[in-house]
Amino acid sequence: MKYVDCFKFLAGRRTEELVITSAGNSGQAWWTATRDSERSFYLDASMSLSTMFASGLAVALPKKRVWAFMGDGAFCMNPGMLMVERQMNLSNLTHFLVSNRAYGATSNARLPNSTSNDYAAIARGCGLTRIHAFTSLAELERGFEAAVPKTASGHTMVVLEVEPFSDEEQKLEQPPFDGPEMKYRFARALERETGASIIGYRL
Amino acid sequence: MVNRMDQGSDAVKRTETARRIADELAECGVKLVASLPDNWISGLITHLEGDTRFTHVPVNREESAIGLCAGAYMGGLGSAALMGASGFMTCIYAITKINYSYEVPLLLVMTLRGSFGDHHKHHISNGLYLQPVLQAIDMPYIIVSRPDELGAIGRAYRHSRTFARPSAVLLARELLR
Repeated sequence: MKYVDCFKFLAGRRTEELVITSAGNSGQAWWTATRDSERSFYLDASMSLSTMFASGLAVALPKKRVWAFMGDGAFCMNPGMLMVERQMNLSNLTHFLVSNRAYGATSNARLPNSTSNDYAAIARGCGLTRIHAFTSLAELERGFEAAVPKTASGHTMVVLEVEPFSDEEQKLEQPPFDGPEMKYRFARALERETGASIIGYRL
Repeated sequence: MVNRMDQGSDAVKRTETARRIADELAECGVKLVASLPDNWISGLITHLEGDTRFTHVPVNREESAIGLCAGAYMGGLGSAALMGASGFMTCIYAITKINYSYEVPLLLVMTLRGSFGDHHKHHISNGLYLQPVLQAIDMPYIIVSRPDELGAIGRAYRHSRTFARPSAVLLARELLR
């Protein structure tokens, strides 16, 4: 399925979820699909840590649902993250593994073992059970509700097989935030919404 | 030869130190601890695992602890990353990319490996480079060698929050063994 079409679909099905994106293409695609600057945290160039970041957020805010996007390039750098995710088993966290079989953020550079990696099998091997995989938009449209319910019994992982960005898509705008602005936009919105004290002082 | 009485008193000392470190963490508002072991802190990690004041998350690699703690901060939850010196040395990218770029506070508690009294030859790299690396990335840190210095944990935590940067507490062998 087309990367951006997939993200536009997910954006359309999102309600109140907080979203963490991974390096490069997932941030570009989510920004293109949503232009969201308060309920999405664009964790640029985090090299495999977007779902760990999302896990910390989900522990802190158990009443909030959290979506985390991770490219398979980032995933390959730290697949052991799934052991931690399984152990934490956070029912309010969905890990979207965006598989384009390339290092998308670096001009689709070749990914090791790219055609053979079975990400759902790796997840099963770590003991995850709520795993869904979609290879087409039609499949995703049909299966989304069952894969990503509003109330889940535990951690959810969704593998999205997408086409790598085209040369034109690589030029999509990056989310235009410096790190501190991203932090403050996200934190202040959460403080307003939840009453949590994040930054440590109120404006 | 080490006699059994010495071993027993060492164990009591380690348990007491672990309890005091846990108290310091709880006092400053830490509720999530992400850790990867070093032999010097294995007893501390066991203690934290059983302490109901904390959610303790054993991680697969130290960088995962950096990600977890950053996310916890963004949700308003106090946290600390606990690791050995070697583990910290693998985290420079994650810390500078996440905590420095986004100005996300972090309390790091780690072992002062490779210092005088460390019996393990393979920690020579930490003895040579741990503190120079901390200095190279301008990370404030404090070395704790005695139980009466453990108040530094709270000070480091608050310093981290005030300046929106990581701070580190380095636990010396004299304290832990």
